[in-house]
Amino acid sequence: MASLDIDIGRVEGQRALVRQRHLKMAAIWAVVFAFLAWCFHGTIIQDTDWSRIGGANGVLGSLGRFLALDFSLLPELVIPTIETFMVACVGTVLGCFFSLPVAWFGAANVTPNRFFFYPAGRFLMVLSRSVHEIIWALIFVSAVGLGALPGILAIAMRSVGFISKITAEAIENIDKKPVEAIRAVGGNDFQVMYYGILPQIYPVVLATVIFEWDINIRRSAVMGLVGAGGLGLTFFRQMNSFNYGGVTMVILAILLLIVLGEVLSHFLRKAVI
Amino acid sequence: MTMTETNPGPAPDSGQTWSRYGATGAATRHATLLAVLVFLGYSLHFLNVDLSRLLGTFSGVWRVVSDRYYPPEIAYVANAGYLGAILDTLQMSFLGGFIGVVCAIPLAWFSAWNVTPSRRILFPLGRLGVISSRAIHETIWTILFVSILGFGMLAGVSALTMFCIGFAGKLFADEIEAVDMGPVEAMRSAGASDLQVFVWAVVPQVRVAFTGIAIYTWDVAFRAATVVGFFGGGGMGWYLKRNIQQLENTKVSAIILSIIAMVLIAEVFSGWVRARVNRAK
Repeated sequence: MASLDIDIGRVEGQRALVRQRHLKMAAIWAVVFAFLAWCFHGTIIQDTDWSRIGGANGVLGSLGRFLALDFSLLPELVIPTIETFMVACVGTVLGCFFSLPVAWFGAANVTPNRFFFYPAGRFLMVLSRSVHEIIWALIFVSAVGLGALPGILAIAMRSVGFISKITAEAIENIDKKPVEAIRAVGGNDFQVMYYGILPQIYPVVLATVIFEWDINIRRSAVMGLVGAGGLGLTFFRQMNSFNYGGVTMVILAILLLIVLGEVLSHFLRKAVI
Repeated sequence: MTMTETNPGPAPDSGQTWSRYGATGAATRHATLLAVLVFLGYSLHFLNVDLSRLLGTFSGVWRVVSDRYYPPEIAYVANAGYLGAILDTLQMSFLGGFIGVVCAIPLAWFSAWNVTPSRRILFPLGRLGVISSRAIHETIWTILFVSILGFGMLAGVSALTMFCIGFAGKLFADEIEAVDMGPVEAMRSAGASDLQVFVWAVVPQVRVAFTGIAIYTWDVAFRAATVVGFFGGGGMGWYLKRNIQQLENTKVSAIILSIIAMVLIAEVFSGWVRARVNRAK
């Protein structure tokens, strides 16, 4: 009898726990939906001039303008497409170079100084990721002028955060034994780095770089919007001259490039891992 | 982490030196490296990049920042109008993130090879939906929606929705493809429909991961929302655009600093919420 009482007590307790959890979930959802309603009110109802959009017909009419493809633009798209691709490649490689010291500073086990360089490295990682690529591009355009260079630099700066973060984590998680073995047979710091650390982090880092390169193709396609060349510039010009068919052509070119990058990165990743 | 395969090397008394890769392996590696270097060099030539300018870049950035952008006019970003714009940005990112995540769940279901309802029709459609919304950068979505819907936050929300569909859809699909197939097969053999399999065998396995991804999506959407205004989508970006065009450089630097601060706050907040969700699973 006694054991049965205890069981009933436990069941009751579990029921109370489940009820409490359901109440908590309901409260969370209520808060989320109240917040959502506030956002909806602020953006869709207060801020939008529905009469100006002109109902479904107006929207469909503006959409229809994009469907008349402008094939005469085709020859002008080849060079910007190649440029966009190249900017992404060079930007990624430059980003890798910038990431090297940042990852070195920001990995707790190899950082030269825990109190100065470690926080500095971590800060650079966060800074690089929290500034949008468009803002990086604006900064570099105002510093080095128009052309492909600000685009390359913006992409490099934006890539640093992710690449160096993953690299630093990989360095922190290495197996210490090879490092100690090389030290024990008299290897210097460079040899420890090259033979002890590098082979261990190299697959992870390479996979990350390929992933970042794939994203960078997308990014380099918009660098032209703020004056840094490539497909973005063509897009901007077509949009400003209201040639909507041309805009669609540029978007198709971007899609083609992205699919190419996606396929390439798939095979590269297979080759690396 | 696994070490890459190495060749066993010569016998200790053969007098050869040890090397990590065999002769053909080394040759391929060197050839690949050379090809990459040649491509990069040609790219720099093709893009007409003057490498001497690269050396002066960082001193150039420093000079521009200290001459024109310093000191930031903090008072400008502390007024009610700009604080309202920050709230607008928050609203856009939350709404866009929510609608995007809601749309991304069915698309992810369709585009996960293991549980997709139809491998012939819905799988390619789902993949196409996710890839194309991912392929187009959020700024291009903004420009397109502004040209269709007009300036304002509606265009920004729509652009962020598309961005979040692409971002969350891919992560969701990856998560679904990694589920334990045991419950799925058990339900299938008991005659459950595809929807029942998804709701009762897949969702319970990915619920926590989906919550984490959804919060992370909001974080990334907030980062994107700070610039959609630059192209007419409303929020902080619109102030940035206006002040850049008026060459109000000290105000611009204050705005950029405020954007960095807001993004950092969003990142810390989303990290905290994600940690709580993971602990409460």
